[in-house]
Amino acid sequence: MDPSEVEFLAEKEIVKIIPNFSLDKIYLIGGDLGPFNPGLQVDVPVWLALNLKQRQKCRIVPPEWMDVDKLEEMRDLERREDAFTPVPSPYYMELTKLLLNYASDNIPKADEIRTLVKDIWDTRIAKLRLSADSFISQMEAHAKLDNLTLMEINTIRSFLLDSLNCMYKLRSNLQPGSSKGQLTDY
Amino acid sequence: MDTQSYLPVQPGVGMEENFLSLDDILLSHERLPARTECTFPRLGFLEKTTDSQDITEGTKMELPLWLSKGLYERKRRVLSVELPKVYREGWRTIFKADPNVVDLHKMGPYYYGLGSQMLHFDSPENPEIAQTLLQTFIGRFRRIMDSSQNAYNEDTSVLVEHLDCLEKTLFRSGQSGLNSFQSWEKGQASQLTASSLVLNYRKRKMTDIQP
Amino acid sequence: MSDALSEDGSDINQDDSREEDVMTPVELIAKLEEAWLNEKFSPELLENKSEVVECVMEQLTHMEANLQRVKKGDAKASIHRMEIDRIRFVLSSYLRSRLQKIEKFFPHVLEKEKSRREGDTSLLSPEEFAFAKEYYTNTESYLKAVALKRMPPNLQTVDMLKAVPEPCLDSFVFLRVKERQENILVEPETDDQREYVVDLDEDSQHLMRYRTIAPFVSSGAVQLI
Repeated sequence: MDPSEVEFLAEKEIVKIIPNFSLDKIYLIGGDLGPFNPGLQVDVPVWLALNLKQRQKCRIVPPEWMDVDKLEEMRDLERREDAFTPVPSPYYMELTKLLLNYASDNIPKADEIRTLVKDIWDTRIAKLRLSADSFISQMEAHAKLDNLTLMEINTIRSFLLDSLNCMYKLRSNLQPGSSKGQLTDY
Repeated sequence: MDTQSYLPVQPGVGMEENFLSLDDILLSHERLPARTECTFPRLGFLEKTTDSQDITEGTKMELPLWLSKGLYERKRRVLSVELPKVYREGWRTIFKADPNVVDLHKMGPYYYGLGSQMLHFDSPENPEIAQTLLQTFIGRFRRIMDSSQNAYNEDTSVLVEHLDCLEKTLFRSGQSGLNSFQSWEKGQASQLTASSLVLNYRKRKMTDIQP
Repeated sequence: MSDALSEDGSDINQDDSREEDVMTPVELIAKLEEAWLNEKFSPELLENKSEVVECVMEQLTHMEANLQRVKKGDAKASIHRMEIDRIRFVLSSYLRSRLQKIEKFFPHVLEKEKSRREGDTSLLSPEEFAFAKEYYTNTESYLKAVALKRMPPNLQTVDMLKAVPEPCLDSFVFLRVKERQENILVEPETDDQREYVVDLDEDSQHLMRYRTIAPFVSSGAVQLI
């Protein structure tokens, strides 16, 4: 999967905006939105929030977790624990990138937040590689991966799955009795 | 985007080969040391070292994998195939000690593929060969993962030069995961670029015009 | 603001409640996205969801027809258009990933279709079936034209079923559980391991063999990720 497709999914997450215009309720295929009133908070999907923001029609309210104190706490916990700790949002990385790129003026301490999220990401990716290696070397058949996000999985997906496939084929070599591997005529 | 208009057929890796895989076709041309176990009448012209009309029993020669597999039969011994030395016991001990020191490109480059294919020929050593192939793969996995997931925007030729063909493919898939993430993070994914197909097409047209 | 659009929304909802199989547009879009991800990540071609595809198409055409009547520069219309584009993207990506798999596994897909019993639902939509058949014929005549016709008569055919690799159901997949499943048997990977059972709790995520959980993908109990 391409990272931009993961981002596409992240754009469906809901954020709060404060519009500076008024508009009646909109009946989208995927659900109703609005009504929009100047100065009143309203929930919209990220794709719409970013579009309105770019047209200077709203201010985006950063999600609660996008806060330096909270993120510092999460980073420290992530570094302390061996397992993956729960993430504030299944799309924390994508939302950080999107909101900071398009609405950094609405987010206090944007640069610090960017660094913190990157630290959390790096710690988690290092853990992911560690678990991938032990999954391969122990030849595990099943792993529980709670708290892992789609973007994290996506960075290692094709490499890990291709490797597991190769390993599976090499392992089936050990069972010479299998019907496979006979000389084949095409 | 990870979508391509042409999806190459992957190599079979294990004992099976994929008919339409270019890698497997190249693999089938690997040469194996073989010895004839009967006379091959009137095929002497293929063997340049003698003038005799037949290839006599006991002639040693190198045959490509596809031909050895075709001629080999378990019941009627037409041909015996020797193990290439990288699969013999001496080398197996080296792999056991430290799989990471071996230059699998030089020793291969189809170390896993050819090794798996060797299992088609009856040999008492087959279980050990299969075991060594698997353990070597597992032993080298971490290094391939780390190098493919860390090398961003640098010359990777040093990293891949000791890898077997299969490992190279894995390395590339690790790199494409890393690269697509990095270019997304940098925001390059949102810039539109011309498809390589279009670029090449233009180039071709230019050369067409030139006299 | 044009009132045409606000009425349209409620129109669509009414349309749907009249149908026997009650699925709101929101659920419909969720179904499409579920099918999209499953198809992207499963090693084999899944059953076609032409019902979902048709309903989504209907919604899109309906909405587009309404947008035709709206004045230029309408704020709501531009939002509706953005949504339509997003849905259209998922829809075409879904259909494209199916076509890609058909190209990859065409002889096996057609074989499965041939052995399908009367009454069983088909893996392929009628359009996909036509595509698969055409792809088969084209591949065959291409191979014939470039090489096979120059071969000795007894070597002029290629058994496509053997030549084209089958989907590998033993591939590993990442998944998220939507409905709890108990006692899933995990087969051992090596001789010295023993098989064991796991429970798949709701919302938990796993990495395991596709073969083990394939039935839950088609039933909708797990989502590939």
